Amino acid sequence: MNTEDLELPRQTHEIFNILARGQFISSNGTKDGMSRLYDVLNDPQNFEKLQSYFSVLRYKIERGNNYFYFSKVNEPPSITEKKLETFEKYIDIIDLFASLDNKITIGARVRPSEIAEECNANVRLKQKLAKIPLYRSENFLNKIREICQMLDRDSFFELEDEASETYKVLDAYGYLLEVINAITIFGQPPSPEHTITNPPDIDIDINPN
Amino acid sequence: MQISINDILSTLYYSREAIEYLFAKKDNVSISQLKSETQLSEEMYHRLKSLEIVYEYENTVVLNDSVIALFEDILQIGEVTPGVIADYILEVKRYISFYQETHHYRFISPIKKYLRRLDKAITREIIKLQKSIDDTYKNESNYRIKLRRLEEYREKRDTLISSIYTLQDLLSQNRSTLSISGDAQLYQIIQTLRQNLLENLDYLIEIQTDITDYINKIQYQLDIYQKAQQIKELKDQGLLHFSTNFNEVVANLNPIRFNGHKSPRTKIAIDTLYTDIGQQLCQKIAEKYKVSQLRYRTSAGQLSFNINEKLLDHQILIDNQKLVEKFLQQKEKDLFQFILDYKFPKEVGTLTLDQKLSLFVEILVQYEKQLHFSYRINYITVTDEENRTRKIGYTIIPPKKEKIKQSS
Repeated sequence: MNTEDLELPRQTHEIFNILARGQFISSNGTKDGMSRLYDVLNDPQNFEKLQSYFSVLRYKIERGNNYFYFSKVNEPPSITEKKLETFEKYIDIIDLFASLDNKITIGARVRPSEIAEECNANVRLKQKLAKIPLYRSENFLNKIREICQMLDRDSFFELEDEASETYKVLDAYGYLLEVINAITIFGQPPSPEHTITNPPDIDIDINPN
Repeated sequence: MQISINDILSTLYYSREAIEYLFAKKDNVSISQLKSETQLSEEMYHRLKSLEIVYEYENTVVLNDSVIALFEDILQIGEVTPGVIADYILEVKRYISFYQETHHYRFISPIKKYLRRLDKAITREIIKLQKSIDDTYKNESNYRIKLRRLEEYREKRDTLISSIYTLQDLLSQNRSTLSISGDAQLYQIIQTLRQNLLENLDYLIEIQTDITDYINKIQYQLDIYQKAQQIKELKDQGLLHFSTNFNEVVANLNPIRFNGHKSPRTKIAIDTLYTDIGQQLCQKIAEKYKVSQLRYRTSAGQLSFNINEKLLDHQILIDNQKLVEKFLQQKEKDLFQFILDYKFPKEVGTLTLDQKLSLFVEILVQYEKQLHFSYRINYITVTDEENRTRKIGYTIIPPKKEKIKQSS
């Protein structure tokens, strides 16, 4: 196959660099012109071209809800201790986020100091955080920082402003939520269709007063 | 004070940098901040204040609301204010009833004015609505506020739709009254307005889909959070692997990141190794694997006439570090004696006396901190390779007894 015949987009190299590192490309990412890369990939023509181009290297571009990532062709995903451990940790983290007063949703800005403050003021959160296996000091702030850095490394978050230590929640974070959604709890009916008329009964009150 | 439009415009123009700054920052701008950021002169600032373009509250400066509103209207940004539409409709109604009573031409002109305004305002409000919805979904960080604001926008959308219906009704009910006037311009305005109203209605329906979509997305995330809490509970009870299909789900996750795929490694082209970057890479690798005995170095400046001759000069260097280490390990000889008697590897060959001397000096300079200077001078007589007898004085560097920590 001749590369020139394919008329690959100019950003092919950058796209490959990010995806091959195992990272996600999110539509609301700002670092390294990520949203631009997303647009390039989202163009159906480009997508076709890049898909066939990368397939030579046995990579497949997978499309999620406003994000892209790489999987390997002909290599079934494996089950390893490490993988299980990673996602067990993610369950802990998402459970912690779920218990925050201000829930973290896609597009939100997150500051470790703010979360740590909330954890400090809430016994339940404190206990949750204490149980998450992290390797840094016991200090709450450092633990939250470690969590944010982990999410940043896995490209679910993005360090938007270093000075104020503000992270942005990227679209790829939806991947983690989809993993949770895919898990079936035995003996429970599968999750209902999500409609606005069917609000969940946890403490989500649109009008707290 | 007499204020002319000219005054206002020129003041706005000359202080445009400050106005732009204030408009962008909206609030929390102190006077000193404004002056330093925008190089606003004291005189200009007073002028702005006297024309009431800016207000000053306890050391902070804000732009006059009507100036902000003017910019927002032109730029089609800012909060959605569907109330304006209702006001305009009332005005139209009023003037139509006046006209019905008197059939006097002077009431036609305000009707035209307000209908034109309505046309512009409805479109503007819809664009603002769309922008605000997108902005709220993408940038509002508190999810409760986000949901509330989206709900508010839904209400505003409903208000806009009902205003449009009211206006349509008003126009069709008074069709005969308005056509009696025989005003071609009015007819034209009404035609355009009707057309635009229909288009805007379509657009509003699309907006409704957007709002619902956004709210659903947030709701979905909240539902997942609820589920995550349940799963976590099972995990805490040690039931994660038994009461759920967690293992199966995780096993099927295919992103390369979680399957231990490292980024692909390709061999570096030989040509690249000869470039400056390649040279740096080689050095790093040499350091890592401690390949320092023999090091190839690219040399500059040896441009021979025949350019095809190899440009790389394979020069063999003596590893000074190793030499010093060996010197420090023995106890009999001082450094110069050691170098004189040292058997250099075959690749290096035999060193001349001058070369050995320069090596000695080189080591002294390079390892000054590790070596133990005795500050005594020794004189010896040696015979060089040309059988000349030379008397040399050198400083004695005895090997230190304890091993010295290596410096890299």
